[in-house]
Amino acid sequence: MNNILETKNLFHDFSGLQVLSNVNLEVADGERHAIIGPNGAGKTTLFNAITGTYTPSSGNIIFRGRDITSARPYEITRAGMGRSFQITSTFHRLTVFQNIRMGILSKKGIRYNLFRRVDKMLDITRETDEVLERINLTEYRDTPAELLSYGKHRALEISMAMATDPELVMLDEPTAGISKDETEYTVSLIRKLTENKTMVIIEHDMDVVFSLADRITVLHHGEILASGSPDEIKNNQEVKDAYLGEMEEE
Amino acid sequence: MTTKRLSWIFWIALLLFLLLYPHIFGAYYTNVIVIFGIFSLFALSVNLLLGFTGLLSFGHAMFFGVGAYGVALALTHIEGCPLLVALLIGIGSSFIFALIISPILVRASGTAFAMLTLAFCMLMYTLSLKLRNITQGEDGIGGFPIPDLNILGIVSFEMTDPVNFYYFATAVLLISMWGLWFITKTPFGMVIISIRDNAMRVDYMGYKVVNSKALVLLVSASFAGVAGSVYALFQNLVSSDGVFSIMTSFAPLIMTVIGGVGSFFGPIVGSGVMMLLEEVVTRYTERFSLVSGIVLVLVVMFVPMGLTGVVKIAREKWVLRRAANE
Repeated sequence: MNNILETKNLFHDFSGLQVLSNVNLEVADGERHAIIGPNGAGKTTLFNAITGTYTPSSGNIIFRGRDITSARPYEITRAGMGRSFQITSTFHRLTVFQNIRMGILSKKGIRYNLFRRVDKMLDITRETDEVLERINLTEYRDTPAELLSYGKHRALEISMAMATDPELVMLDEPTAGISKDETEYTVSLIRKLTENKTMVIIEHDMDVVFSLADRITVLHHGEILASGSPDEIKNNQEVKDAYLGEMEEE
Repeated sequence: MTTKRLSWIFWIALLLFLLLYPHIFGAYYTNVIVIFGIFSLFALSVNLLLGFTGLLSFGHAMFFGVGAYGVALALTHIEGCPLLVALLIGIGSSFIFALIISPILVRASGTAFAMLTLAFCMLMYTLSLKLRNITQGEDGIGGFPIPDLNILGIVSFEMTDPVNFYYFATAVLLISMWGLWFITKTPFGMVIISIRDNAMRVDYMGYKVVNSKALVLLVSASFAGVAGSVYALFQNLVSSDGVFSIMTSFAPLIMTVIGGVGSFFGPIVGSGVMMLLEEVVTRYTERFSLVSGIVLVLVVMFVPMGLTGVVKIAREKWVLRRAANE
């Protein structure tokens, strides 16, 4: 299988503090890939480097055969990557419908249209409503994002990453801070939305990781400790010592 | 359906009122309406940045002033320049000026953006004073000919007649206001509102933020240019202190805040309130700035959502109470 995303000898430091060192991540087309590791392992930094928040100190990032190492977030999104954020980051005063519609408009390349009323674009409205139906937020269609419950707001956050219809979805701790019941709902939502897509997910909840992922990469002190199938990772002694072991003790 | 019909009735009534206005209230109050319209459009253009994109401009007078000087210079130097051409030159000047400075402005936001706009406006103020051979310095450019409005060579209206000018100015200003309103309803309007809420996420949704900011700046500057151009034709005098001064930048900001930043029509309400206030206050004292300053402080402290915000909240409460009674 081809790799949709590869990082080659990726290094990143914040004014001398080495956060990523020699990360060679390979994500195969169509897989659900989880990145796990203790706090401060560099997971979010890796995400930010890949999605263009900042350019890594050295190394390369290849996405669908294209070097995107120093590309800006909007270029990476247009190339077919979507991401969600650990800290919910929606357009808080816009309604749920309008939030999702931003993704649909972007997907269609409608970015500078000053000459047509957006609510008269019936195909856009229909497509947005279809997405709302799929994510079960039709009921909250006209609710401003900031008035949603935390769990619903997280669902919107994840759905916005998907609204541009990306090939690769990067989810940064989608279940962060939500209750057990809502976690189950979120996992089924992620499963539904990422069908036939490639997904990379950062997650602390091991139940979520082992139920979703086809492949797991363990990051520790900015380096890849191990990478393999869920079973391989579960039985890896190094991983147990560094991460999974300490989780069980808690 | 009834709300749609009601809004139609409202617009037709407003149009009839504006048509009959000069024949009922006479020349002085006709001029008041023109000034009101000019500042309403100017404040709306400021609010496109402040309320919709989240950019605070402390120097919007530069776009207003460049438009005004554009018209004044065109009518002074071009023999037989038609009215609409002069208007287009004024708007075009603001547009081109914004195009030149936008690469610097769009890379700033927040306080840096406010300070940069202030700096550029002060630069224009100084230039208009110092380039004496072009701008005639402190005296300003005045007494330029105001051409007749000639429509396809068939009919001609004398613009020196206050009533004719009133109709011309009102038409230009209303069409511009409608244009601004329309833009806020387009996909691009949604992009700028999203930039206000969360510029970082806009980037991640595949929109290039600096380009969108540049475009909204050009649009806002052009409409400020329309206001400035009409102002030049109306006053027949354009001077540094009249168009480039700090107060010219702050007046629309104060109007916007008083009327309500969160609403499209807020700046129009604010402009109306400030003009009424000025009308009343100047009968008793020359210190209008003092009064407007106090009003601004009171609004910011007690009704930060502005007057339109108060009306909106009151209406929501009324709807709730009515629903409870039923």
